[in-house]
Amino acid sequence: MNVFGLANADAVLPGVKAGDPAAQEALYRAFEGPVFNLARRICRTTEDAEDVLQETFLEVFRSIGNYRGDGSLWGWVRTIASSKALMRLRRNKYRETDELQDDVTPLRREDTALRMDLEAALERLNGTSRAVVWLHDVEGYTHEEIATMMNKTVSFSKSQLARAHTRLRRWLGEEVPA
Amino acid sequence: MTHLTIEQLLALREPGLEPGVQGWRDHAEACELCRAELDRLDQRVARIRALPTLQPSRNRFADVQAQYRRGRTRRRLLALSLGGLALAASVALAVVLGPRLGAGPVAAQLSEQQELDDIIARSRQLETVIEDYNPDRRVTDGRTAVVAASLEDRLAQVDRQLQLVNLMEQRGRPEEALRLWRERVGLLGALVDVHTTGATYVRY
Repeated sequence: MNVFGLANADAVLPGVKAGDPAAQEALYRAFEGPVFNLARRICRTTEDAEDVLQETFLEVFRSIGNYRGDGSLWGWVRTIASSKALMRLRRNKYRETDELQDDVTPLRREDTALRMDLEAALERLNGTSRAVVWLHDVEGYTHEEIATMMNKTVSFSKSQLARAHTRLRRWLGEEVPA
Repeated sequence: MTHLTIEQLLALREPGLEPGVQGWRDHAEACELCRAELDRLDQRVARIRALPTLQPSRNRFADVQAQYRRGRTRRRLLALSLGGLALAASVALAVVLGPRLGAGPVAAQLSEQQELDDIIARSRQLETVIEDYNPDRRVTDGRTAVVAASLEDRLAQVDRQLQLVNLMEQRGRPEEALRLWRERVGLLGALVDVHTTGATYVRY
């Protein structure tokens, strides 16, 4: 994460509000990495994540007048990015196949050969579960905030997180035979 | 003894104290298996947080900026109140043609007025098509965005000229208004093509 850029992004705020292209580019450079990373962790493909990146900054530049400064600028941009990524996820949902429904299957000896790395395991989660894991465990959103963003209940967010961790635990070979 | 479920383990990591959480916490402290499970959960979350930051494969800033500029141009165009422009053109033409009706061929002058009305109607239709398509809400590739931006810049110039001509109509230049409205319709048609087909080479 471009910590230097994030820390100094507020300095270019007046220019961005005035529509100054140089200030817009400075803000883009500061937040490009974290916005793309968040989008890519939620979306299935790089192309979708790049579209979310573009949509996010377009929205940021258009709506920067609405940013009142009562929270961090990154927090505001991140909320827009999360919302755009979740919107993309919903739009693509009909195309998405759910992950293998193997959470009810007991661990078999040959399953140890399927042990995968963390990146692959996250990719294997369905879009909604992956989004909840990322927003909750990495970005630090509460279940209440995630529920609001997803237009779902708090219970839904909690159960998605629990399902996701159950699966990750299995796929990562972390289960301890009873 | 029943061990903690994944839901209960996750609840232990949440801030605040939900009902029952203290009991689960007491259990986790006493139960080696649950404590180990909680440690694994903490480690898994720490590993997820430590994943490398992914970077975009290409620079999208030019696309963002082109789309932003296009949006601003469109908003400016709307602010110009195109309906007002059209009305002004019609009124101006009527003012110019009115005194001439007795002097020249009436049919030709009425035809000129009719053509202007038709072109203005066509211009409105095309604007509606673009508004319905709502390009601001769509992601476009860089080349399409650049072509669309240049068409919209040209459109803005034509509208500025139209405003001037509308003022000058009082002194009698209806043919200039017709020419500009024709050009406006051509530009809007090209813009529709660019948006709906992604055409990056347009003639109008």
